[in-house]
Amino acid sequence: MKIDRIRIRELVRKEFIQLFRDKKIRPILIVAPLIQILIFGYVVNYDIRHIRMAVLDEARTRESRLIVETFQGNGIFGITRFLHHDHDIEPLMIRGEADLVLKIGPDLSERMKQGKSAAVQLIADGSMSNMASIRVSYAVAVLQQINNTLLHELHPHAVRYGRIDPRIRTWYNPNLDSQYFFVPAIVAVIIMVISLLLTSIAIIREKETGTLEQLIVTPLTPFEFIVGKTIPYILISLAQMAVVTIFAVLWFQIPLEGSIPALFGASCLFLLSTLGIGLFISTVSSTQQQAVMTTFFFLLPFFMLSGFVFPIANMPEFVQWLTYLNPMRYFLVIIRGLFLKGVGLDVLWPQYLALSLLGIVVFSGAVGFFRKRLD
Amino acid sequence: MNRRRIQAVTRKEFYHLVRDFRSLYLAFAIPLLLILLFGYALSLDVDRIATVVVDHDRTALTRDLIRRLDASTYFTVRTILPDTKVAGEALDRGDATLAVIIPAGLTAGIKHERETAIQLLLDGSDPNFSNIARAYVNAFFDRYNQERLGVFLNRQGKSAPAQPVEGRIRIWFNEDLESRNFIIPGIIAVIIMIVGAMLTSLVIAREYENGTMETIRALPLSAGEFLMGKAIPYFLIGLTDVLAAILMAQILFGIVMKSSFWLMMAASSLYLAVALTLGLLISLLTKSQLVANQIALLITYLPSLLLSNFVFPVSNMPAILQGLTRFVPATYYIDILTGIYLKNLNFLQLWVSFAVLTVMFLTLLTANWLQLRKEGL
Repeated sequence: MKIDRIRIRELVRKEFIQLFRDKKIRPILIVAPLIQILIFGYVVNYDIRHIRMAVLDEARTRESRLIVETFQGNGIFGITRFLHHDHDIEPLMIRGEADLVLKIGPDLSERMKQGKSAAVQLIADGSMSNMASIRVSYAVAVLQQINNTLLHELHPHAVRYGRIDPRIRTWYNPNLDSQYFFVPAIVAVIIMVISLLLTSIAIIREKETGTLEQLIVTPLTPFEFIVGKTIPYILISLAQMAVVTIFAVLWFQIPLEGSIPALFGASCLFLLSTLGIGLFISTVSSTQQQAVMTTFFFLLPFFMLSGFVFPIANMPEFVQWLTYLNPMRYFLVIIRGLFLKGVGLDVLWPQYLALSLLGIVVFSGAVGFFRKRLD
Repeated sequence: MNRRRIQAVTRKEFYHLVRDFRSLYLAFAIPLLLILLFGYALSLDVDRIATVVVDHDRTALTRDLIRRLDASTYFTVRTILPDTKVAGEALDRGDATLAVIIPAGLTAGIKHERETAIQLLLDGSDPNFSNIARAYVNAFFDRYNQERLGVFLNRQGKSAPAQPVEGRIRIWFNEDLESRNFIIPGIIAVIIMIVGAMLTSLVIAREYENGTMETIRALPLSAGEFLMGKAIPYFLIGLTDVLAAILMAQILFGIVMKSSFWLMMAASSLYLAVALTLGLLISLLTKSQLVANQIALLITYLPSLLLSNFVFPVSNMPAILQGLTRFVPATYYIDILTGIYLKNLNFLQLWVSFAVLTVMFLTLLTANWLQLRKEGL
């Protein structure tokens, strides 16, 4: 195959001129990724820093005050409301103004003095089940702490018995900071969206305006056409990737533990797959609307089945197998490995290998398909 | 408003859609895909935590401990590894998210009634996951210790002292704590935005790009008629999607509305109208399909996914973003959806959200109309 450098260069130049001539697209290329990382960075957040708790204390004794004060002093729980009646609970929960309601019955202290357990009700808003689970487990831990204090008061000479003390050490993200987990991954999402949409639309536009026919009659070979068409978007995607990465490190203070060349290499391999898919979409679509919808059809499962928000280990086995076909899956493991774990190629090589294989298969398949359609 | 003229524009838009068969069929396939994905494949609930164990003690007691860990629904013991270093590598590779390291002498310690530490390494990359995992680990060992205490006291002929406070947990609105129950209704909000705003954002821009806007301007067509005609086909598609979503949620996943069906339809129509007018306005202002699409992605799809209390709690966001969520239509629609699907509320309890959506719709409609008048229609 003969490739003419000058012809490709001219096509790349044309593509850049065409893209930047539209004054509205310029800010979008820079602003859109930054808005995305800012919003994602702050929104995609499961950190429990503040649990809104309402208290209905029907006992009003020393013990009940101890319970309320322990929650108040915890730092995570904020007591936003003191209720006086049972029927205050429902409207509060319906309006979603409290995450947890703590209800202490009137017989708390009496039961304790008799050496019995006194029930304390914790009502949780289960609308968001995962958040509810975490909130309840925090509250149960606080109750445990209260129990220990009270037990110590009742029985100053604690029994010593053979118990296990679990000491959990959290690796990679010791403060369980959501941003550490999500912000690096957003880098992957952004290049995926941009590279898929821009390439598919760029080729469709030639089709819609009829200039594709003109390009075919020029001495440009199909291969040169594809190379010339994709290079601008590779460059734009990589530039955006760099901007977003710098932003992640400087603004969100995410430590980049691994090596930058490894990140760059993985991005190039990942782009091979996404550009291939973009090319494929543009081959089978004839209007921009079609292309946009088809892109979405691909984007959603890539995004959802990648482990970005929803853990792959939670998926049914059949779907877990499907995720092996998702380039984003590998890219996310690499990005998170590089950012959080600081691991290198020695650990991540299977991901690199899978990404290269997928990229080569998808891209060459798309090129072959495109050439066949062109003939 | 002339019915026949609106019909004509609608018919033309329908032809566009039918001729472009794939867009139409994707407008139904995408919602289907989303619901299936969320219903079957995606869950934020944590179970079957991939666990590796390093057992330096190798006694009947530690084997029993490992067996119990594996028998719990929350942990799946993958392998027993020879040493801590290998366990660390399993965490590095992501093969396991929890490593339990049983020290030599655990059994001896317990037999001599000494408190003995066990080390657990937890992959904290995913905070949602590790937060819940940590709670499960603590609960597991709490139960184990309670049992040991019971045995210990029994031997001495005593009974365990009652825990002074006993937490009785009651979960409201989503009693089984299934993430599916709130995610599937929320998905309807995202679907409406994709179909309503993303598709329509291209509709008027296309007329400009193809130069047919000039022709339309020359027709005896008023701005209102043009808008109606453009919106109707997408309104019908959107409403069909909503119905399909409701049915699938109910039939496939058993997610049933606690409140009225007609309230749901009213809310969905209103929200759909907001989405359509928003999409048309973007289309009208940008006049380019590429730009319109990017903007629609940015101001309709992403906010309805991220800034709407859908999967990410608004109460966790910084104050500025919390303020921003007040301007996202999906926030109000999802509030209504939660009310209908989980909380069993009626119109009187939800009227504020309805009112806000109505105001948004009227504002967007006026903006569209004014802009079209400016364009000379």
